[in-house]
Amino acid sequence: MKVVNKLWVVALALVMVFSLAACQGDSDTAASPDGETDAAAESQAPADDAGDADEPVTIHFFSNLPDRSSGMGELEQILIDQYTAENPHVTVEVEALQDEPYKQKFQSYVAGNELPDLCMVWGQPSFFQAVMEGGYVAELNPDDYTDYGFFDGATADFSYDGKLYGLPRNQDLTALFYNQAIFDEYDVKVPETYDDLMAAAETFRENGVTPLSINGKDKWILNLFFQDLLVKVSGDQDTIYDAIDQETSFAGDPDIRKTAELYKDLVDAGLFQDSYISADYASAMNLFLQEESAMFYMGAWEVGMASNEENSEHFRENVQVMTFPTVTEGEGKATDLVAWNGGGFAVSASSAVKDEAIALLNYMMLPDHWAKIGWETGNVVPGQDYSSFLTGNENQLQMTITDILQQSTSMSGTTWNDYAPGEWKTNCEQLMQEYSAGIVDIDGFLTGLDEAVGQ
Amino acid sequence: MDRMKRNKLIIFLLVSPGLIFFFAAVLFPILKSVYYGMTDWKGIGDFNLVGFDNFVKVLTDDKVFRESLLHAATLAVLTVIVQHPIALFFAIIIDKIGGRRETFFRAVFFIPCVISIVVISKMWVGIYNAEYGLLNTVLEFMRLDALKQDWLGNFHIALYSVVFVIMWVGFGYAFLIYYSGIKGVPEELYEAGLIDGAGGWQRFRHITLPLIKPVIWVNVTLAIVSSLKQMEPIYLMTNGGPGSTTQFVANYLYIQAFNAKKYGYANAISVVFVVVCLIVTVLLQRVFRDRERGEAS
Repeated sequence: MKVVNKLWVVALALVMVFSLAACQGDSDTAASPDGETDAAAESQAPADDAGDADEPVTIHFFSNLPDRSSGMGELEQILIDQYTAENPHVTVEVEALQDEPYKQKFQSYVAGNELPDLCMVWGQPSFFQAVMEGGYVAELNPDDYTDYGFFDGATADFSYDGKLYGLPRNQDLTALFYNQAIFDEYDVKVPETYDDLMAAAETFRENGVTPLSINGKDKWILNLFFQDLLVKVSGDQDTIYDAIDQETSFAGDPDIRKTAELYKDLVDAGLFQDSYISADYASAMNLFLQEESAMFYMGAWEVGMASNEENSEHFRENVQVMTFPTVTEGEGKATDLVAWNGGGFAVSASSAVKDEAIALLNYMMLPDHWAKIGWETGNVVPGQDYSSFLTGNENQLQMTITDILQQSTSMSGTTWNDYAPGEWKTNCEQLMQEYSAGIVDIDGFLTGLDEAVGQ
Repeated sequence: MDRMKRNKLIIFLLVSPGLIFFFAAVLFPILKSVYYGMTDWKGIGDFNLVGFDNFVKVLTDDKVFRESLLHAATLAVLTVIVQHPIALFFAIIIDKIGGRRETFFRAVFFIPCVISIVVISKMWVGIYNAEYGLLNTVLEFMRLDALKQDWLGNFHIALYSVVFVIMWVGFGYAFLIYYSGIKGVPEELYEAGLIDGAGGWQRFRHITLPLIKPVIWVNVTLAIVSSLKQMEPIYLMTNGGPGSTTQFVANYLYIQAFNAKKYGYANAISVVFVVVCLIVTVLLQRVFRDRERGEAS
């Protein structure tokens, strides 16, 4: 019996030791987010013996584009493959997640100071400011990019304290996509003014057609729509930013109040599809692609839908794009745009292969690479001057967007929901959705925004 | 063996693996959450200690948190007074059918529980869709156009649309627990009841119900606790919208942490949430224990 007891004690002690060891092991793996990083870290070691170009190097590339065979994901992959073919000693490990999971994993990488070597970033204060401030991304040399043809101000949102930390990859702007065939069928005028838009909403509704589809579940698009309308009312891009900076107030500014009224009238007239509040990106876009809705409000990054062969030929022939309608008594012109440089790339400050990562970034962003190939494949509206790459084979959406950009009289920069860091984005988007859904009235909406600014 | 039990060191060694696991996997993370709950950490960079400010705000000045708890309570109440009686009813009926059909129906009722919650949520988002959804199409077909709704977008009814889906998904479990409880009631008791001339209702009221009481308590406790913890269907169907009319605590704290980047505050919410769950569980146990005692005496 004694022996048995002793055996028990020994066995239990062993179990205890192993369970402790297991705990220890757990915290180790928690500290390094995935096997990929470990592998990357190991193979990076030799690269530290600087200079020898033939030493194998692995670059961990973190992207928000899981679809590597179309759109910007394809463009990234083309350039990465091209680079590794030219530099056989370099291996690029791509990790890609959808936007929201991407943002969350990015946060945890930052929290563990283990940011992948080359990352996609959004040049918006709500996303990027704290990252630049905290020194998590490497400083880039602006002189390297003098010949890269970035549009004026395109790198502003990737800079902090006079230093450059990232490069923009595309020019974002909001646009009103519409289906010419549906407008013709019901003899509706393509809306150049707010009144046209209202009239179109009424006519389409009378005929049982959804006038405009929008993804209200995602909220941010409603904020962009609101800003587009406000710019057409006030004619001043600064109106909304002044209110956020508390130089004026949302409740006190007559233009903002007027815009809120006009916006609500459109919602009440049934401009948006019935399910717009609960519709996500895919279902809103699907209504338009299936020719169930006459218009679709979205960023110009969807220009590819006119050449995507998965869409019907009828749709591809009839899809058109225009700027947001003007307001008759408003000050804004059709050429005053809600446009900004959203996505871009940055290099991790703690990367063991920082120079190699910067070299890859510089290679990708060369005008002959990113802008030219991206434009030719119809995958992107580049944040760089692409006028010399026009081929004449562009689809109608690409051509119109190019004209819109060339004729623009003002651009908003970072949109108002992303303008301030932290919880502003969550709060102002929430209020926008509540106002749209009728949960708060106009005063609740505007004073709510003023309160959110103060937080 | 007795000597082994008397030896305190051995007892300690015996329980230590479990205890260590509990401390490492449960208590330590909670304590860490309490610590982060007392900071203004944004998830990136440095942070400051702010004392109990976050906790005070959660408890006294957070409308959405209170609404989220209220929505959980609504779900719990509706589950207990709507889903459970129906589940119990079907459990009794299917128990009576017997044979192959019994197995068939038992499996059918359990199907929603084995399908991924992502699939179910997306399926119901489709059914509820105001443009092409099945529900509105059926209503239109039945010439009940007046009842057509934007089921997830109308803030007056969105909560109930979501609650319905959660109850539909959970129906299989509630049913199965009642069903196994009923299976455990000895057949002889029903025979004795029959001989004494008891009718169907009387047999249910005086035999089935008293004997499955422990099962009912378990089921009710599970329903209430799971009502508090709902996350995935909410995130996938409405993300708490429109506004916060379908918000639940778990989803809310997720939004606060990952969208609003208020990690400190989200940690405070999570700690308060744990406390709320504990209080509810203890209260439920006490209520049921008192009832059992009351009946025993």
